[in-house]
Amino acid sequence: MIRNVGKLLRKTKEKKSLIQNDYQDSKPADELDVSFSQNVETLRSVYDNCSDVMFRSFLLFGKTRAMLIYIAGLSDIEAIEQYVLSPLMQEASKEPQPLNEFIEHKMPVPKVVKVNMLADCIESISSGNPILLYEGESDGFSLGLSKWEKRAIEEPVAEGGVRGSREGFIESLEVNTSQLRRIIKSPALKIQSMKIGTLTRTNVSIAYIDGLVDKSLIEEITTRLERIKIDGILESEYIEEMIEDNPFSPFPQIMSTERPDVACSSLLEGRAVILVEGTPFTLIAPISFFSLIQSQEDYAQRFMAGTFIRWLRYFFMGLSLLLPSLYVAILTFHHEAVPTALLLSVAASRESVPFPAIVEALAMEITFEALREAGVRLPKQVGSAVSIVGALVIGQASVQAGLVSAPMVIVVAITGIASFMMPRYIAGITFRMLRFPMMLLAGTLGLLGIMMGIIAIVIHLCSLRSFGVPYLAPLAPLKGKELKDVLWRAPWWMMDTRPSFTGDSNVYRQAPEQGPNPKRGSETE
Amino acid sequence: MEKGKISSLQMAFMMYPTIVATALLGVPSITAKYAKTDLWLSPIFAALIGYLTVYIAIKLHKLYPKQTVIQFSEQIIGRIPGKILGFLFLFFYIQNTGLILRGYGEFVVGSFLVNTPISVIMASMVLLCAFIVRGGIEVLGRAAELFVPIFIFPICILILLLIPDFEYKNIFPILGDGIMPPIKGAIVPGGWFSEFFLIIFLLPFLADMKKGMKSGMMSVFAVMMTLIVVNLLVLFVLGSTTSTKLYPLMSASRYISLADFFEHVESAVMAVWIVGAFVKISVFYYATALGTAQWLNLSDYRPVVWPIGILIVIFSFWSLPSSMDVSRNDINVFPFQGTLMQTIIPLLLLVIAIVRKRNHKGTETS
Repeated sequence: MIRNVGKLLRKTKEKKSLIQNDYQDSKPADELDVSFSQNVETLRSVYDNCSDVMFRSFLLFGKTRAMLIYIAGLSDIEAIEQYVLSPLMQEASKEPQPLNEFIEHKMPVPKVVKVNMLADCIESISSGNPILLYEGESDGFSLGLSKWEKRAIEEPVAEGGVRGSREGFIESLEVNTSQLRRIIKSPALKIQSMKIGTLTRTNVSIAYIDGLVDKSLIEEITTRLERIKIDGILESEYIEEMIEDNPFSPFPQIMSTERPDVACSSLLEGRAVILVEGTPFTLIAPISFFSLIQSQEDYAQRFMAGTFIRWLRYFFMGLSLLLPSLYVAILTFHHEAVPTALLLSVAASRESVPFPAIVEALAMEITFEALREAGVRLPKQVGSAVSIVGALVIGQASVQAGLVSAPMVIVVAITGIASFMMPRYIAGITFRMLRFPMMLLAGTLGLLGIMMGIIAIVIHLCSLRSFGVPYLAPLAPLKGKELKDVLWRAPWWMMDTRPSFTGDSNVYRQAPEQGPNPKRGSETE
Repeated sequence: MEKGKISSLQMAFMMYPTIVATALLGVPSITAKYAKTDLWLSPIFAALIGYLTVYIAIKLHKLYPKQTVIQFSEQIIGRIPGKILGFLFLFFYIQNTGLILRGYGEFVVGSFLVNTPISVIMASMVLLCAFIVRGGIEVLGRAAELFVPIFIFPICILILLLIPDFEYKNIFPILGDGIMPPIKGAIVPGGWFSEFFLIIFLLPFLADMKKGMKSGMMSVFAVMMTLIVVNLLVLFVLGSTTSTKLYPLMSASRYISLADFFEHVESAVMAVWIVGAFVKISVFYYATALGTAQWLNLSDYRPVVWPIGILIVIFSFWSLPSSMDVSRNDINVFPFQGTLMQTIIPLLLLVIAIVRKRNHKGTETS
């Protein structure tokens, strides 16, 4: 209440300017004036000190004063010359009447929209569509001639693969939506757009398949997006954090991907995809925990291989969370749990190490995290130096110096590799983060502490939801039939239903009984 | 008060470790004390109490749907007596949760973390349980679904690995002293089976009530089978020394030795068992918190979760002075107290409720 009063006071005190406050919507609500010169004057004052905004004045058919306003580099100069300026500037004997009819219907421009609000003019200019104003007309015309430099479609960097599409999303929203449309050609693929960010006016699109998706999900996403009041959106993570169910969770409740095929497979399961201008990372919601540890390549190879790799991943996911803490717990509390021979060799290598196991483990794990982070940010030429330092100094010299035991180095290395096995980088980080509290628990309470940690994580996961979908579905709550995509990667002819929490409105995704059976007649006759 | 819904399967998953977790530890040796080599027969007799309790609970639930025992006992025997009975139930459950917690702490400290203060172990467990209880019944149900397989799977592995150590002759003589020893041995596990009355606190939140009876009975059956298998296991491995061991299953697991590498798995067994104990304490804790809130006519049970947690820890210390008394309580007090509170009193409630309903109907028609 008090905050609102303060806000109101502040609002009235401030002078009316284009940008009132960074987060407030600052649309000037004025209409365009009847007078041509007045409009030009207003726009010139709006774009004061903007050297990249071009004001091209000319005479329409040699008579009427006109002005074309566009931003250099955002509009297609060649097309402007060829299709706008040259037909309009020729001194025709008879001027086509009425003028607005001619511009709207006879000019060879892909899209012409009449605008009569100053804000819409600015919006149009900013997004690269030139505005045409001329004397005697109170409306402006927004010409759809935007064109700017963009990256070519490349292989996604963060989500590689051996088999499957090699295309990745890029920074341009139009190209990204077109990639979706190229895969899903049905008109049931709907793409709703909105603009977020008072200064950046970033285009954000929600893609979904009509008839598969739960309508209330789209409504929920839209209301959550509309609630965002911010000056700018530079990456989809901004949006992710603003619309998440539980922002204080280490687990991501919205998945990001830069692969169109992953986005499309989510669409086909009845999920929604949020595309954001300016980043190749699109958001997928709702997800479950298992979405994070499934890779598109599981589905692009034989199901046995897919299942094997999936189980390998589960196993190493556990290792990446638990291996250092198990090592610490066993060395500190449960010597009897390891066979005597193994215990002796580990103890021999630890003889000269001056630290308790927990200190050793924490120090090595933190060093490893530092090495990894340094390797990610560094230029490639220096990167090799980091790996040399890491391998030789940390791995070799510290063991020889007797500061760290060799088994500890092995444990850290296996843990590191395990954490890189997660197909989603963000999920790998979650587990790497949780490893540290687990180590502390193991150092204080041994195996009991580890179990406490696991129980705490499971409680948290059980209470987590992503847009209303239980995070651990289909394992808890248990949906026996849907374990086909969790316990193993069922062959494609068995995956005949969509996940019940997202695709409930349209359960079946393929005809039944397409599996190998005598009816198919592959062997007989 | 509680908006969540669980499936009947989740209820069964919650009840299974609620009975089995602690019954696995000390009960086989207590049973062996009375039943000798027939200890594997005792769970069958004990399970009768379980079936009866589930039957009573479901009948009571059908008479008063959407209510727990704390609420409908007021309707059955009047407001003041109902409140008193409700208080007795709550007191019983708080004290019992404290005892379970104490048993858990004694086991962990006695067998594994010898130098760790028992208060740390018990407080950390109650802390975790408080989190899940505050999360609500849905979270509890889902966690149980995840934990029960984690709990059952290692027991199966344990059985497989122990097969080489089996002495099948230990089972003889069967019923050498007649039927009485196994029935005497069934009294203590019977107390555990009476804990099935806790489903009265879960039934109102069941999404599919029709399967409630089936799931409850299945759960009793699963517990009975587990106890039979475990009792046979310790009998085959330990033989007549079973009754001298405090935790026979743990002692049996020490026999595991595979390829000179896979041995001394007790700590792994302990780690897995913690999961079961966690579910057990959580379910008791949840019932207590929910019942307390209903007894006080609160609109939400979450505010009472932390105070009850503190009470549980305090009761776990106060109730019994030493670990010797914990096992003595398990043998001499709990079976009778548990059966009285959870089977006999509910049975009386059911009889009164049926009689009253019939009378009521009678006065209506006449």
